[in-house]
Amino acid sequence: MNDLELLDELLAHPSTWVEPPPDLEDVVVWAVVDAAAAAPRIAPAAAHRRRRRGASLFAVAAALVAALAVGAAVLGGGAATADYQGNLSATGLAPGAHGSVAITHTAAGFRVRLDARGLPPLGDRELYQAWLKDAAGTLVPIGTFSSSNDRVTLWSGVSPHDFPTLTITIEPIDNNQASSGQRVLMGDVHRR
Amino acid sequence: MQRARQRVRPEPSSPSRTRPGELPTVTRSKSVGRDDLEAFRDGDPAGVRALYQTYGRLVDAVAHRVLGSHELAEEATQQTFVRAWQASDRIDVGRDPAAWLATIAKRNAIDIYRREARRPKRALDDVAADDPALVTLPPDLGALDAAWRVRRAIDELPGDEATVVRLQHLDGLTQQEIADKLGLALGTVKSRAHRAHQRLAAALGHLREAPA
Repeated sequence: MNDLELLDELLAHPSTWVEPPPDLEDVVVWAVVDAAAAAPRIAPAAAHRRRRRGASLFAVAAALVAALAVGAAVLGGGAATADYQGNLSATGLAPGAHGSVAITHTAAGFRVRLDARGLPPLGDRELYQAWLKDAAGTLVPIGTFSSSNDRVTLWSGVSPHDFPTLTITIEPIDNNQASSGQRVLMGDVHRR
Repeated sequence: MQRARQRVRPEPSSPSRTRPGELPTVTRSKSVGRDDLEAFRDGDPAGVRALYQTYGRLVDAVAHRVLGSHELAEEATQQTFVRAWQASDRIDVGRDPAAWLATIAKRNAIDIYRREARRPKRALDDVAADDPALVTLPPDLGALDAAWRVRRAIDELPGDEATVVRLQHLDGLTQQEIADKLGLALGTVKSRAHRAHQRLAAALGHLREAPA
């Protein structure tokens, strides 16, 4: 393929034009901040001084410790890789809906990245609410949103290991904090 | 491009997360300076944000090119910035970090591609049509360099010119159809397309050179 053909192919390829979702910026920022807090690097100035001193036994040992710390951070991948995922299925209330979820365990809790599509439109003073449910039927609310066709980031204080069923309901905006039971999407999440 | 293991060739996933009916737009990147790079190296959120705002779209585009799915591309983008921070004691804060970050982005995306390809296989009917294990081998590094350079050149186009290039190349519209869609005179579309292609040609130079 010559350069002109390659340029044509690239300009016609969807990945060339892809726009990341708006919330990815915050996800990236806090992933790096989490990593920096969990595994502080050796300061560059100190690293330079150590290089000038040569490969003393102390420097070799420090480098090994640093390498192990970085390796553990990469392999652990807690901030960078989803730990649970699942597909969500439509219910009778919203036969055209579908979605998926990826959940990452972070120091702050469980970050739930929900991609919900084709939800029925909301009425006045209504919103979508996401819940995690355990085997006993205990429901834990994990956030509300209003877009019927988008990606949203929610947070959970309970583990999907113990609360493996995710449901989305339509809720009236009122003083009743219990679920309305109007489920529009549901599915189980599984450890990756 | 290698397609040795191709069994299913789905349509690539949608390029944007815009709502149906929205006109496509291309957002221009900001620039990153010495202070931003020093802040990134320190793990300062403002520095991370500055680097992401300049290069996040490029990293995401390269990851999407390799992995073919929004979800995996976002994971790859996140990992790329974490790995960049882990290696940031090697940043020369006086230089444009684009080539350094491009190298991390490409290798990281290919690592994730290989990880996904190693996952236990299920029955073919249960596997998503865009599962990278089914579709292609990852592009070679040279092709990814070109993808990075083209995306960067597009980001540097004025928004109205980028929109015309996108409608022409990605959506396959004629210049008359673009004029109708945007409510512009045909001559305006022609001049924007001409200027855009001149800028792209000037910015790209030889595609096989090292990534800028």
